[in-house]
Amino acid sequence: MTVHSLYQKTAVGLALVALAATGCSTKNSNDTAGTSGDDASTGTSTGPVELKDGSKVKLALIPGGAHPYFQPWKTTAELDKTDFKLGGATFNETGEWDQGKQNNVINSLAAQGYNAFGIFGVSPTDINSTFEDLKAKGFAVGSLASCPAGDTNSADFCLSTDVEAAAYKATKATIEAIGGTGTIVHLTGNNVDSNTQRRIAGVKKAIGETGGKVTELPVITDIDKDLQTAQKAVADLLASKGKEIKGIVTTAYNPAVAAADGVASSKLPIKVVAIDDDAKILSGIKSGGVAATVTQNPVGQAYVGGWLLALLGSKQCTMKTPGVIVDSGSFVVTKANVDSYDTERKAKTTELQKDFAAQLSCS
Amino acid sequence: MSAPVSETATAALHEPDAPVEQPRGGRTPWWANQRIGLLILVVALGALFGILRPAFFNQQLVVFPLLRDIAMFTVVGLAQMCVLSIGHMNLAVGRMAAFSMMITGISYDLWHFSLYAGLLVGLIAGTAIGALAGWVIARTGVNSFVVTLALDFLLLGLIPLVYTGLTDNAAFVTKPEGMREMRNYSLADICIGNVCGSPAVPQLALFAVIAMVVVGWIYSRTKLGRELLMTGTSVKAAELSGIPTARRVITAHAMSGCLAALAGFMLAVSTGSIKATIGEEFMLPSFLGPILGGTLLAGGFISVWGTMLGTALTSVIRKGLDLLGVGLESLNIYLGLILLVALSTDRVRTVLSDRQGVRER
Repeated sequence: MTVHSLYQKTAVGLALVALAATGCSTKNSNDTAGTSGDDASTGTSTGPVELKDGSKVKLALIPGGAHPYFQPWKTTAELDKTDFKLGGATFNETGEWDQGKQNNVINSLAAQGYNAFGIFGVSPTDINSTFEDLKAKGFAVGSLASCPAGDTNSADFCLSTDVEAAAYKATKATIEAIGGTGTIVHLTGNNVDSNTQRRIAGVKKAIGETGGKVTELPVITDIDKDLQTAQKAVADLLASKGKEIKGIVTTAYNPAVAAADGVASSKLPIKVVAIDDDAKILSGIKSGGVAATVTQNPVGQAYVGGWLLALLGSKQCTMKTPGVIVDSGSFVVTKANVDSYDTERKAKTTELQKDFAAQLSCS
Repeated sequence: MSAPVSETATAALHEPDAPVEQPRGGRTPWWANQRIGLLILVVALGALFGILRPAFFNQQLVVFPLLRDIAMFTVVGLAQMCVLSIGHMNLAVGRMAAFSMMITGISYDLWHFSLYAGLLVGLIAGTAIGALAGWVIARTGVNSFVVTLALDFLLLGLIPLVYTGLTDNAAFVTKPEGMREMRNYSLADICIGNVCGSPAVPQLALFAVIAMVVVGWIYSRTKLGRELLMTGTSVKAAELSGIPTARRVITAHAMSGCLAALAGFMLAVSTGSIKATIGEEFMLPSFLGPILGGTLLAGGFISVWGTMLGTALTSVIRKGLDLLGVGLESLNIYLGLILLVALSTDRVRTVLSDRQGVRER
């Protein structure tokens, strides 16, 4: 009992010391920065804006967790740093697809002096709270590759693929590949994610436009966790309904790779439309195993996002309409344009800079 | 099932026998005490990270979110600790949080409840689902591992179904008045005259303090607490002493469900919305905190302080590694290594203390 009470007392004592060490405060003494309200801007630029001094900007690009989609961000962060002569740039993927962990990563980076954040929020319904916190502390914040759910974007801007439009395009490509009639199936990711719901809506819209010529089997969700899960789902699907299906439209990375592989090995005459431009998928397009893929623009998001965040972080510019949402583009790639689609994508990136320049108010 | 509840409960509780606890009391030197060891370790690691990265002491950006995390995971740990006290486990701890928050979300979204009324509804839902798990275990005699695993699967299917049916974005985004403030308010917003509390301590942490006080009081000061521990130590002995073990099983699981609901609420407030994925990350930390803190897996001994310190240890290590810029590949390796070293140090201390005890004898 002696030791028991001794450790309790010690613990209480140390807890009190720790509490005291964090310090009490006096009313109104907090140095809350408040939302940065720079109004130094006067002129409006029509062309891409030249960053005057990026040396005080430390840029952090933060995906929700590790995923092949974000790998181009790593090199683009370095490119941002050298091209815009930033004080620092980092890429941190330790969020592990958990909003709480991602918030911790963001706070840790902010504590280390990073002041401009390009974030792919893990949870579209929660990320506005994180953006509001960062904005309240005076940081520049961009929502990259995914916009918050609902009508409000609390970040300075959102540069993302319009997932509903991309899913719509992918479905249109599938319908075209199967000749305009037949049954298709949609494979996608986490069902309880608002982006997945938007993708499902995009697919349904395209199918609806066929006036009943194309029908859809129930959507297969929650198979983007890893490749094995997706492979198993595809194998089950092909075994049970392989002969009935004429096309597969995928709107998530792992199902896309699994569907391309599964259909190729089963030798069934199913047309697969994939997502993104993984080497496997591109080789599938070249060999004819994959009918088409819808690629996104991760490099453009990180490059243009980094440029914008540097302009906002250095206080050289402000957004005319905070929270503006811009589609970073999605591109249908078929055998015909598999070697040239990247040129189209680069052109879109340049165009994005011009679009955003018109949205800025700069000093 | 014709067997009386008490008999089936005995069968359910007949899980591996508890290892005999080292005698506690005057013979153990203070430095060999696990909780004190943990406390010193947490403080030492905090100091080390602070020296390596002074930003570790940044009140707004590091200490505040760190304490918010520790508070939430302490409640998660307490939820698991309650069932560990009777030698059971709750594999559905995260999903119980998700279920309770689903009910809370419905209460905000559809019934327009206030913040605390919604919390109360969630706590009741958590208690009910926990009690249901306990009742099934006590009634059927099936191992708690199996029952809570089955319940976890059941809820895993049910929760997304409800969310997709009732919401557009698979989340309840209605924020009752006060929820946004609760996320960011610290003790600096509580003032007596002109003197306010620390801006580094989140108000949300008060929920954890209340939970610790209540659970600590139940286990150390009430007959119910002693009966729960007795049930965990030996069901047979407890029954022979007249303890209604089946009811205690239900109570322990109900307490676990209630605390899981509270943890779910804290997570919902700190991230911003009530969504189906709440609690997905709860299971491992729920065991880590209590076990590091000295709670026995086999039941019969718990430590509320230890649960908090065990949780604090992992959170501090993770935060420190974050600040040191350790990449994803190495983060979990270092986390595991530091925990291993911490536990080995603890073992070394115990062995040294035992040897000293033998010499004194």
